[in-house]
Amino acid sequence: MQPGLQAYLTVAGFLFAIGFAGVLLRKNTLVIFMCLELMLTASTLALVAISRFYNSMDGALFVFFIITVAAAEVAVGLAIIVALYRRRHTIQVDELNYLKH
Amino acid sequence: MPAFFFYFFSALTILAALLVVLNRDAVNSAMCMIVALGGVAALFVLLQAYFLAVLQIVVYAGAVMVLFLFIIMLLDPKTRRIPVSEMNMVVGLVALVMLAIGAFWLARQYPTVANLPPVEALPTDAAPLGYATAAKTFGYGLFTRYLLPFEVAGFLLLSAMVGVIVLSKRTPADAHDDPAKPPRK
Amino acid sequence: MDLNTILTAILLLPLGSAVLIALFLRRRGGLAAALSVTVGFLIMALSLDVLLTWNGQDFHVSTEWLRFGTYAFSMGFYFNHQTALMLLVVSFVASWIQLFSVGYMDDDDAKGRFFGGLSIFMFSILGIVLADNLVMLFVFWELVGFSSYMLIAHYYKTDFANMASKKAFIVNRVGDFGFLLGIVWCWNHYGTVNLIELHGKLLGHPELLGTHRAIAIGLLLMCGFIGKSAQFPLQVWLTDAMAGPTPVSALIHAATMVAAGIYFLARVFFLLSPFTLHWIMWSGALMTAFAGLCALGQTDIKKTLAYSTLSHLGYMACAVGLGYPELAMFHLAMHACFKATLFLGSGSVIHACHHEQDIYKMGGLLKKMPLTGITFLLASLANCAIPFFSGGYSKDSIITAAFLKGHTDGSVYFGVYLLVLFGALCTALYTGRLFSVVFLGKARSEDAEHAHESSPFMTIPLVVLGLLSLGGGWAVYGWTWGGHFTGLLPSTCVVVFAQAFKDLQEAAEKSGAATILEVVNLVIALAGLAAAYLFYGRAPAGDPLAAKAPGVYHVLERHGWFDDVYDWYVKQVQQRICDLIGAIDLLLFKFTFGWGSGGLAGLTGSVLRRFQTGSIHAYVYWFLAGVILFWALAIG
Repeated sequence: MQPGLQAYLTVAGFLFAIGFAGVLLRKNTLVIFMCLELMLTASTLALVAISRFYNSMDGALFVFFIITVAAAEVAVGLAIIVALYRRRHTIQVDELNYLKH
Repeated sequence: MPAFFFYFFSALTILAALLVVLNRDAVNSAMCMIVALGGVAALFVLLQAYFLAVLQIVVYAGAVMVLFLFIIMLLDPKTRRIPVSEMNMVVGLVALVMLAIGAFWLARQYPTVANLPPVEALPTDAAPLGYATAAKTFGYGLFTRYLLPFEVAGFLLLSAMVGVIVLSKRTPADAHDDPAKPPRK
Repeated sequence: MDLNTILTAILLLPLGSAVLIALFLRRRGGLAAALSVTVGFLIMALSLDVLLTWNGQDFHVSTEWLRFGTYAFSMGFYFNHQTALMLLVVSFVASWIQLFSVGYMDDDDAKGRFFGGLSIFMFSILGIVLADNLVMLFVFWELVGFSSYMLIAHYYKTDFANMASKKAFIVNRVGDFGFLLGIVWCWNHYGTVNLIELHGKLLGHPELLGTHRAIAIGLLLMCGFIGKSAQFPLQVWLTDAMAGPTPVSALIHAATMVAAGIYFLARVFFLLSPFTLHWIMWSGALMTAFAGLCALGQTDIKKTLAYSTLSHLGYMACAVGLGYPELAMFHLAMHACFKATLFLGSGSVIHACHHEQDIYKMGGLLKKMPLTGITFLLASLANCAIPFFSGGYSKDSIITAAFLKGHTDGSVYFGVYLLVLFGALCTALYTGRLFSVVFLGKARSEDAEHAHESSPFMTIPLVVLGLLSLGGGWAVYGWTWGGHFTGLLPSTCVVVFAQAFKDLQEAAEKSGAATILEVVNLVIALAGLAAAYLFYGRAPAGDPLAAKAPGVYHVLERHGWFDDVYDWYVKQVQQRICDLIGAIDLLLFKFTFGWGSGGLAGLTGSVLRRFQTGSIHAYVYWFLAGVILFWALAIG
């Protein structure tokens, strides 16, 4: 059976769910960050699938921008994590609770 | 044939994603992430978005994940291995299942377009932004309809670059610290 | 320059002087004094210019200042014969007193503040004089009260001066409360507060004054007069106000501010119904007698003169009540001259005796300070209403008017006549006492031994005002000279009250009692003076009355226990009410808003605070919950 639009969207949805679960579950900041990227990738997959099935380039162009922004975001985010590590000497999120009341 | 490849690469991607989440070691997670990204690139190829597939490999898996690996390696191995607590595991899995069901249901809302419409190689004059496989369509779209976002994205990259340089400056207090050593407390 | 410009200049010059002194000259006492005195004489010159060239027509001009819906608060000038006389009195007396202050305050550190206060006072009193509507009058009324407060507290380092200034202000305020109610009601009832418009409304409609409302309005407006001119029951502040420097007592509490109440009554005379006028007459007559008696129980020279002022204000009030506002104004002008002279003379004496104010520590000063002594004598004789002196004409005319009222309107009004006559006797007694004890006999203390005549700054004003207290009243004879002067005063001021005086004399002639009245007045005055000299003049030290009749003396000294009654009221009644209100306030606000809304806010805050766990995972869970919520809303 040919994979239809629903199939691709289901895969994207599963990837998104897994990424979200990763954000909820993991305590390593870097792994949380990676799971965020996973969620982004899921959204790009959904976009490309819809773009393909509705015969429009808009989705693909949007993916182009998503990849750009994700790259920039990762760079800055990792710089922040490194700076945070220098101060707190930990990357475990339950130890990074200085904003607690 | 395309159906088999689709199922294979989807399973690969989902499995790799699960391993990303469940792995104890951060380096292992990064490696699984690269595999997952590769699987997604394959799915892009199946959708005839060749340019994006290559972009995914080169930029995402190549540059972004390598950067991740750099940073992971920079940190002490002991700090990399942080397991998940059991309570969280239960809650997380529940959330996962719920989300998955939700995603599945959402996907069902879309009409079943079983037959892939034919796709051109190059854009036609009748539908200049119709789906086509050549990289030229990206160029066309970026420099006509999406010119402003394109410029803004450039600016964004510039600011990210500047931000990263500023953020990674060492303060005098940190100058004597080796991140690999145990904390000073 | 036209009249409008000159009047504006007269009004605003002292304000400019006060502002300059306040901003720049607080520490340059000498410059401040020079500025204030110069401005004072400039105002006097401008006023004389106005008075000598005025054509006698009523002049009014006004500009709108603020508008509140249908009501427009305007500022303007209303210049009629009353204004002319008052302007002369204020500008003339004030300038000379300012010159006197230069000499009197020469050893004071805070001259700048003092002269600034005098300048702002000048501005305020001129505002009252020139005002054309009741609201503007009230504004300047309050400003005058403020200037008085500021100047009484000049020696603010003493408790007594502070308390006296507060007392003056608060008692005035009580009267002003009634005044304000009267003004508001007047606007409500008549539709305007402009004096000219009010006069127009009531002209030819005397029945309008008979309604209960009109009577009430008149009584309320009278409250302002009672407060400002220290009449019963608000007379308690004037004697304490003597805590201020003597020039202040002379200017404010003798010549001008307390007289502003009388001026006000004369201005709004057409608004006062017969009932109000009766009240003013009786209370004025009673005040005359009472204050005259109390003056015999004081050993402080300034307090004696303060009671004398109260007594004369009673005379003026009585004149208004009898229906002769022009005579009241006449007496106001004469009183200003001789009372200012008396106060300035006492100031000269106090200064010479190194700020000693007890008369039983002075004595024999006539030889040592001849100019002061002679001017004091002239003013004293005017005070006692000896014929040919200024006071004689005005006071005697009031006594005559009282007698005529008894003659024409029923013998109950002879009571008024007897009271004012008794007041005249007391005047003679205390004046004689004062002069004998201070200036005659032997010196009773070291300071009095070494006293010498004061500087020209002080003696020249004494001479000028002394001459006026001698001859100010000669205007009634109608000697015009120089085209613009009648007697010693400009013609424009004199015209109306000279006419009233003449009318009164004719009425007295008709009743056949004119000569008897004059003889009685003269006899009483001379007898009083002689008795005073015999009784007090040869006493060594201490008051002979205190020695021989201590009970009587004690009553006089406590001036009728008014202060004690008010004190009891404030402490026992008013304070208790205030405490009760304070408790209710605490209950209401602290409990309702403090514990109520404040507590609620605090409770909410401490609950919401728990959400800030600092844990990223918690935040993500909340995020998830929010997304599900939105999803549910979007679907359903």
